[in-house]
Amino acid sequence: MKVEGEHLFKGTPQQVWELFRDTDVMAAALPGTQKMELVEDRKYQAVMQVRVGPVSGEFSGELLLSDEDYPRSYTMSVEGRGKPGFLKGVGDVVLTEQAEGQTLMGYSGEVQIGGRLAAVGQRLIDTVSKSIISQAFETLDRLLAERMVAAGEGREAAIDSASQGDYAAAVARDLLAASWMKWVLGALGLIIVVVILVIALF
Amino acid sequence: MNYKIIGKRVKRVEDPRLLTGGALFVDDVNLPDMLHAAFLRSDYAHARIKSIDTSQAAALPGVVGVFTAEDMGEDWEPGPPLVSPPPTLENVTFHSRRQVPLVKDKVRHAGEIIAVVVAESRYIAEDAVEEIQIDYEPLPAVVNLEKCLHPDSPLVHEDLDSNLAAHLVQKKGDYESARAEADLIIKRRFHLDRGAAAAMENRGLVVDWNAKDQHLMVWDATQSPIPIRNGMAARLGLRTHQVRVVAPFVGGGFGPKIMMFYAEEMVLPWLTMKLNRPVKWIEDRRENFYATTQEREQIQEVEMALSKEGRILGIKQSIIHDTGAYNPYGLTTPLNTQSHSMGSYDVENYESELTVVFTNKTIVTPVRGAGRPQGIFVVERLLDIASRELGIDSRDLRRLNFIDPDDFPYNHQIIDQAFTELVFDSGNYLPVYEKALEAIGYDRFLQEEQPRLRQEGKHVGIGVVPFIETTGVGPYEGARVAIEPSGKVSAATGVGTQGQGHMTSFAQIVAEALSVDVEDVSMVTGDTAEIHWGTGTFASRGAVVAGNAVLAAAQDVRQKALTLASKILETPEEELELDGGLVRVADIPEQSISLGELAVLANPFRGAVEPGTEPGLESTKYFGPAYGATAFGVHALILEVDPETMMIKLLKYVTVEDCGTMLNPLIVEGQIHGGVSMGIGNSYYEKLHFDENGQLLNASLADYLLPTSAEMPPIEVIHLNTPAPNNALGTKGVGEAGAIPVPAAFIQALENALPEYELEILETPLSPNRLFELLHKQEENQ
Repeated sequence: MKVEGEHLFKGTPQQVWELFRDTDVMAAALPGTQKMELVEDRKYQAVMQVRVGPVSGEFSGELLLSDEDYPRSYTMSVEGRGKPGFLKGVGDVVLTEQAEGQTLMGYSGEVQIGGRLAAVGQRLIDTVSKSIISQAFETLDRLLAERMVAAGEGREAAIDSASQGDYAAAVARDLLAASWMKWVLGALGLIIVVVILVIALF
Repeated sequence: MNYKIIGKRVKRVEDPRLLTGGALFVDDVNLPDMLHAAFLRSDYAHARIKSIDTSQAAALPGVVGVFTAEDMGEDWEPGPPLVSPPPTLENVTFHSRRQVPLVKDKVRHAGEIIAVVVAESRYIAEDAVEEIQIDYEPLPAVVNLEKCLHPDSPLVHEDLDSNLAAHLVQKKGDYESARAEADLIIKRRFHLDRGAAAAMENRGLVVDWNAKDQHLMVWDATQSPIPIRNGMAARLGLRTHQVRVVAPFVGGGFGPKIMMFYAEEMVLPWLTMKLNRPVKWIEDRRENFYATTQEREQIQEVEMALSKEGRILGIKQSIIHDTGAYNPYGLTTPLNTQSHSMGSYDVENYESELTVVFTNKTIVTPVRGAGRPQGIFVVERLLDIASRELGIDSRDLRRLNFIDPDDFPYNHQIIDQAFTELVFDSGNYLPVYEKALEAIGYDRFLQEEQPRLRQEGKHVGIGVVPFIETTGVGPYEGARVAIEPSGKVSAATGVGTQGQGHMTSFAQIVAEALSVDVEDVSMVTGDTAEIHWGTGTFASRGAVVAGNAVLAAAQDVRQKALTLASKILETPEEELELDGGLVRVADIPEQSISLGELAVLANPFRGAVEPGTEPGLESTKYFGPAYGATAFGVHALILEVDPETMMIKLLKYVTVEDCGTMLNPLIVEGQIHGGVSMGIGNSYYEKLHFDENGQLLNASLADYLLPTSAEMPPIEVIHLNTPAPNNALGTKGVGEAGAIPVPAAFIQALENALPEYELEILETPLSPNRLFELLHKQEENQ
């Protein structure tokens, strides 16, 4: 599966680079992340709870950074495994300085998935991964702003992570973009109405 | 022959039980003290196993044991080769690599079994499976049929030099000379992809070792209980009579349920003997997508040489056939493709190179059609293209090339799936073809309906495709028929039943031979306690091979009844007749004796059984044909395609079938209906999507589309009868026929519906998405 896209950060490449090096920030930004820590130079370990349609479960994996060119680009390799299957990916991240102290982050990569995640979750994985990414960027934007404010005030930046509820809402919103989901929800709504009617009548 | 009961539309006697939940399926078997198994299957298509840690799983409450290949010790051995390569051909390369009970060192397809958990319930067993830790070293997967033969491709079996599983060339006549004389050479590349059999009932086993009795009882949703019994006994070091295998009612077979031995069929009997408790496992749908065998992927390059008058001078073919990770079923499927690549036609020169490859995908064994649809697809597609290029009506092209009825038996001079000469025993193709054209209203459709509907903006097309099906191959099948003291008849045959209505059609044969009512015949199939010898249900052979064995046994019992009655009634046999369960003197009907009384007298309490005779009115007979019976037919259909949504509606479907003598037309029609629906799936819906890592991406019935009743048209079935000359009943098989020509006819109709695109479709299965891509590619080209 190909993953690519871009995002505009309101901060300099250096600030964005630092943001991405903060494991607490990353753990907060990626929904479902239960643990993320630096285990050795440029190597992180993470535990993440993932739900893709009918498939859910815990993934544990490693994230390795290489080919770093501060503050312009780096390569990221991910390898994760869990009860729902496995994933393995390599991607390139490029930071380009923009006007007004902004940074455009471009990312492109190839992710391989296997097991139940691939077999049963395939239909939804595109939507779900887009949700994860877009929600991560929302959180990162907020945290970057907070860091900049905190730096100006000379205090530690607070980190508030997105809740599982926020994530679920994001997935639902993205799924609604797919018309079939409206049908499913419509049908569910109809069933609920019928059930209420039946209860009311008897 | 004038039959009273054979050939009648007798309603299926098994249906009341099936329809009211009264029929036994494997999952209905629940024994006291029974344990449940769940399997850990590889997520990777290709990976080395570095270590396995089962300690956490074993520690879960309710888990009785967790077992890996290492635990099997010396009992670990691969499954038996089911079919060896043809000994009758020279220069055959064949590397036999068989599936294993539990993976030892390397997984070769996603879904392969690494460990088994046995627990007090399936829930606990499934939970425990998730606690097993495997350290894998992932390897690049072998997926593409052509790239896998490249010298630097990873290897599925590292002890081989390449991924080549088999190679052979079959030749007839001299293709190169034919090519030199030809006015037109058409060469195309075809890609046919994989589908699932998707039986309604998944596989399942209940095994019960009784140590006191020293007896192993097995219920297995298999098509071939007797070979399974033989194999289990051999693997476990038991006498064959110590093992009884029952294939009760089975909810669909379609081929994959004969892939003896599945890993589960090797592991479970071993477990029950080790644990001394019954063990049950029922396959779930996702396991079925990974672990139950599949079929159809081939890449073919085929060349057809024709004269300008439209005679086929020769066919040259190169087939790359995907056998998946192992090849227990030998070359049956691709040999069938070769046998059907000349279709219904008289082709003097044929050269076909077959290359079979190992890939990191689920094992390939026959699925209803078994290589035949691929052969029919390429030859019929090439004729459609030839018709356009030569400017000859596609119907005339076919009429010109059909094998002449006087040329039967027609020896094709190549080897068929049973390694015997490919001989078409009988046939008369033109009347069947003309009948189909008439029934679908070919001329009227092209001249009136299609132009009218085009004016209304509707895209409708017609497809008509003839086919042949080699059926009823050996080696043999047996039947035991006995008259009970009650006068009822019991009969048994070794072939298992997966919905074919054997309990009715075979009972009709017995009833006919013994002049009793069908209801008085109790037919048992698929129980090794009822008959000792046999092979199984496959290759559209039940009605031919088992049917004729049933006839022979029933006729022998009839003779025994007459001989005994002649003595008792003091009347010569020629003056006796059987009717309504009685043997009577033809001229003096009141002088009679019932079959029940005869059965009692045939088993005397006093005196002696005469030398040279046997007690009882019972007989066991076998039938083994030298070569198969070739059925044939034509499918004709009209479809409508919406070029906006790419959705298809089948408006009319006619099949004309000639399967020789029909035992029961109702059952034949049911077989055709089922086969057509499978063929429609193969044409437009059912495709297994594997990614480049060997991951199956649509392993659920939400993503893998089976045609439903909404996609099915009403089907008209017309019967003609050219009896098979080499068996007493004159029967030919029909189990697979319905599925064989459908993709070729469907695609012909699709092209006919969209003439403005000048499509040339050389692949199946299509899908709405794929048709969309093809149409847009054509628009760009135009």
